[in-house]
Amino acid sequence: MSQHNGAGRLAALPAVLLLAAGFVLPILLVVAYSFMPSRTFGLDSDATLANYQSAFTDDYWQPLAWSASTALVTTLICLLLAWPTAKVLNRRAGPFATTVTVLIALPIFISESVRLFGLSLFLMPGGGILAGTLNTLFGIEIGSILNTRLAALIGYVYIHFPFVLFPLLLGLSLIPREQVEAARDLGASGWQVFREIELPLAMPGVTIGALLSFVLSLGANAEMSILGGQAVTVVTRAIEQRFSYAQDWPLGAALTVLVIVITAAIVLPLLKRIDLDGLIRR
Amino acid sequence: MTVRTANRLSTLWLVTVLAFLYVPMLSVVLGSLANTRYMRFPHKTWTFDAYSNALADYTIGVLHSTSFAIAGTVVLLSALVGTASALAFARYDWRGRRLYQRFLLLPVFFPQPVLGLALLLTLTAAGITPTWKTAAFAHLVWVVPIVTLIISIRLYDYDPRQEEAAVDLGASRWQVFRYITWPVIAPGVVSGSLFAFLLSWSNLSLSIFTTGADTTLPEWLFARIATNYSPLVPAVAVIATLVSALVIGVIALLSIVLRRR
Repeated sequence: MSQHNGAGRLAALPAVLLLAAGFVLPILLVVAYSFMPSRTFGLDSDATLANYQSAFTDDYWQPLAWSASTALVTTLICLLLAWPTAKVLNRRAGPFATTVTVLIALPIFISESVRLFGLSLFLMPGGGILAGTLNTLFGIEIGSILNTRLAALIGYVYIHFPFVLFPLLLGLSLIPREQVEAARDLGASGWQVFREIELPLAMPGVTIGALLSFVLSLGANAEMSILGGQAVTVVTRAIEQRFSYAQDWPLGAALTVLVIVITAAIVLPLLKRIDLDGLIRR
Repeated sequence: MTVRTANRLSTLWLVTVLAFLYVPMLSVVLGSLANTRYMRFPHKTWTFDAYSNALADYTIGVLHSTSFAIAGTVVLLSALVGTASALAFARYDWRGRRLYQRFLLLPVFFPQPVLGLALLLTLTAAGITPTWKTAAFAHLVWVVPIVTLIISIRLYDYDPRQEEAAVDLGASRWQVFRYITWPVIAPGVVSGSLFAFLLSWSNLSLSIFTTGADTTLPEWLFARIATNYSPLVPAVAVIATLVSALVIGVIALLSIVLRRR
């Protein structure tokens, strides 16, 4: 193939400038602030590790630990729910499957504040949609899980499920049908087909879905404020509090850096292994 | 298990999944049809009062125009930058392309509120007062990579030799773009713009830290939801969603009409 070094660089330039100013620069600035003494607003002091020390000793690590473990649990639940869904949709090609696929995609484009609000209206105690309906129709009084961690977790799964499903669908479409049939003819069990053929071949899709779900959940805060009633402080909220109420930019920056480090440690090695050209070209 | 039972089971599963996704949205619609200050379902009176109140409310109009200003800016700029970026991503073979592809994806695999907070710190440190314009900039950082991917899908099916043939036949550079490249990528640019609009219109995580004194629809809803229920809130949520569906319908229709001509 002929080389287009000049044209390529020129076409990439606007996007590179955008990301340099809107992505790389903010990250570098946050890193720089994280080494400044507590409660300073400039970058001219001597570098210190004090903020990282407070991040780990003054209980600021708790929001981070909660967000990271919730992101992990959310991702696992989403994978468990999305795998059978994607398998069914992949197997039953046709107008019905297409309609269902579109219907699953649509909510992505409705603001998460709207969707989580709906979930909270549904779960509300007393006059909520679920409690009110059960009470009127069957005279059953039920309690409510609203404002608990469980409600927040349901919200996390609800929001991130489509982000796992679509990459999985893409991954499953990479599997040649004949290969699965051949394995079955040779006597492979359902588990063996899953373990030896489907999972490895669909891995690019599984990886992208899991990455999206983990990273988006790691920073998520609307679930906890709308459904969880602030039962736990999530990491984004902890950072926001340092930045605004506490007026402590350096400590907020140090917490931000920790989130970025976790993200990078997970995203960079996995992203490197995915063949983008191959995945998109299909 | 027979094929029929398997099919029934799988249908049941899909219906369950759809119910999980749609019951909350149905709840928003149901919640908007009341006139009480507290949520008491089933409502004693079912009414559209909240909708007429919302439509008469000046603030709700301002929220819509702020969201429109941001989404419109994002659509225009992301279509321009995204088209060029997609050519670099999928069309041209250049040194650094693989690195570029990975770099461009990083904002997609990054927690949005954290990016919003980092941008807020940057703006404050630089002495820039956040407004809807800075929010549009924040949205672009995340939307341009996605638009690039969507347009790139079209370019992978593309045979570059068509361009070389056109040049050999004496076409100018502009003519090559206008008559060869553009028709191939145009559908990608349209769907990219649709995505850009929807993603910007519904965004909460970036807007909440980067709009300053301006307020978008999702921000307003988020703030009101946190305080208390009133039928006005779900009514505005329904209206805002319908408006975005309307915009999408109009853009899709326009692109079909233009393609027919």
